[in-house]
Amino acid sequence: MVRMILDVDSAGDDILAILFASRHPEIQLEGVTTVMGASGSIEQATRVALNTLTRAERDDVPVAAGAYRPIVGHSEEDMQAPVHFEKTLHDRFGERLKGFNAPAPKPKRPADGRHAVDFILETVRQNPGEITLVATGPFTNVAMALLQEPDLPKLVPECIVLGGTFHCPGNITPVAEYNIWADPEAAKLVMNSGMKLTIVGLDVCETNDAADAMLTRDDLADLAEHDVPLAGYLVEFLPIYIDIWREFFGLVGFPLDDVIAVALAIDPTLCTTDGPLFVDVELEGRIARGQTVAYRGFQILPADGPRTAHICTTIDGRRFVSLFKNTILGRI
Amino acid sequence: MSIPIILDCDPGHDDAIALVMAHRSPDIDLVGVTTVCGNAPIEATTRNALRVMDFIGADEVPIARGCYRPLARPLRLGTADGPSGLDGTPGLPDSDRAVEPLHAVDALAAWLHDAPSPITLVPTGPLTNIGLLFLKHPDVKPKIKEIVLMGGVFYRRSEYFTPTEFNIFCDPEAAAIVVDSGVPTTMVGLDVTMQVLVEEPQFEVLREIGTPLGQVVLDWLAFYEKLHRGTMGVGGALHDPLALAAVLDPSLIETRPAHVAVDLRGTVTFGATVADFWGERELPDNVRIATSVDADRFFALLYQLLRD
Repeated sequence: MVRMILDVDSAGDDILAILFASRHPEIQLEGVTTVMGASGSIEQATRVALNTLTRAERDDVPVAAGAYRPIVGHSEEDMQAPVHFEKTLHDRFGERLKGFNAPAPKPKRPADGRHAVDFILETVRQNPGEITLVATGPFTNVAMALLQEPDLPKLVPECIVLGGTFHCPGNITPVAEYNIWADPEAAKLVMNSGMKLTIVGLDVCETNDAADAMLTRDDLADLAEHDVPLAGYLVEFLPIYIDIWREFFGLVGFPLDDVIAVALAIDPTLCTTDGPLFVDVELEGRIARGQTVAYRGFQILPADGPRTAHICTTIDGRRFVSLFKNTILGRI
Repeated sequence: MSIPIILDCDPGHDDAIALVMAHRSPDIDLVGVTTVCGNAPIEATTRNALRVMDFIGADEVPIARGCYRPLARPLRLGTADGPSGLDGTPGLPDSDRAVEPLHAVDALAAWLHDAPSPITLVPTGPLTNIGLLFLKHPDVKPKIKEIVLMGGVFYRRSEYFTPTEFNIFCDPEAAAIVVDSGVPTTMVGLDVTMQVLVEEPQFEVLREIGTPLGQVVLDWLAFYEKLHRGTMGVGGALHDPLALAAVLDPSLIETRPAHVAVDLRGTVTFGATVADFWGERELPDNVRIATSVDADRFFALLYQLLRD
């Protein structure tokens, strides 16, 4: 059994990560915390998390709302880039996009009264060494927790993060992945904290080298054969995601980035990793800001950070997708 | 009616004097004190806040310990106050008081939330606590009447002035959050605080006070002036007390509105507070900058608060 807090920004694959974490019998989901990111606002992120847990019949899992903005962020113009991208998608897909990050209906229960940072700190202080943190959105909440509690790295056995890219192109700039880019200062703080980190970068999800780990229409056909409400929900909402990632990112399926991060908590053998090594975040410039840099090999200019990161290098894709589908179908 | 304030500080000799003034003024209701790293590490600034408040008998004022590092940069300590942060009075007894169980950021939110009327925040250290407060608890902003902070430098009219002032330099990211917070903010910067210098005439008056408190303040100032004397050849500048005094008597300073941006990227100018005096950025004014000070009236107020 793995005890887990899942920190999400409630974009498409975060929803799948919440479903997976709340339905897998070997995960004890202590809570879901939300952060401003790809879903556009903290209110939307929190509503989606609550509604997703209702759908998973897990209204017993608390949801705590977190940071509503990054520590620094970017120019107004660049911060709006994801919004403009959504407009491009609307122009291309029209009506089909109606369900894509649609304004979430009012949840049937309220969020936990605590701020996400307090939820994380209180839970890990009460259970030192017990709770794995899985962060699949920008790292603002984890960074704020570190700013209030320098001992956080000692209180959690591991933090598994979806963020960064090391070999393949970024998805927000040519060298930066969205979660890191969305709050580079927060990501740098986390990478330099000394916390044990497993980093799921784009190398094992958003490249066709990891095609086996993506969800395809074939997988949806498999899910459609079963009379399971959650499976029916995925069959309904995922086709547009598959099409977007096919057309705009050139990927053969829908990458399950955030689900991989959650799945690694219960089965670390799903990915091969490189480490421990130091990963730093570039803060300067416009294009390079948010780039993740892994210190491997030998360089004359010394690195001065903690060697605590394990970066994922390959993934056993079909085994992972089977695990995902079986979890959704309740066959584990 | 006294003015409710919260002092967020990194004592620091001049912070300590601001604490003394705030507690002794009948016109101020000191709701709480929060500490931050800056002039010294958080352990030291918190210890100093506790023992200063003990020494002046401010037992009823809650003290909450705050951030141990800036939001996004390694901590660079100040150099004016010695390793303890209060080297002028090494014998000042330790306090056996405990700090509040809440982190300063959460204590600030709780005090503001519970306050019957809006409170004035007086930050005299790096703005880390206030920045984190606005990141975590933006809902408390309407409960802040205004922020009167010691920080920044805008006119740089002589070689006394580096491009940056320490509090902003220490945590520029936090300062950027504060100036863009939408909360009415007055920046009492080096342009005015470097005009309230403790020189021989001021020492003369302070020596005449002759109370135990007066002696402690003298000891603080005797140590505090070393850095100023050694680097710039002038007496100690009462940076933080001036910010506090400006709350007590706003007529001590003149201010002007401006849009201020904090440089986060410069190699040697990060932390510079750059005012747009002519509206070239086409952005609305976000702070008021202190432009001049009546030093004589400031010192009169200081002496009066130390004597009464």
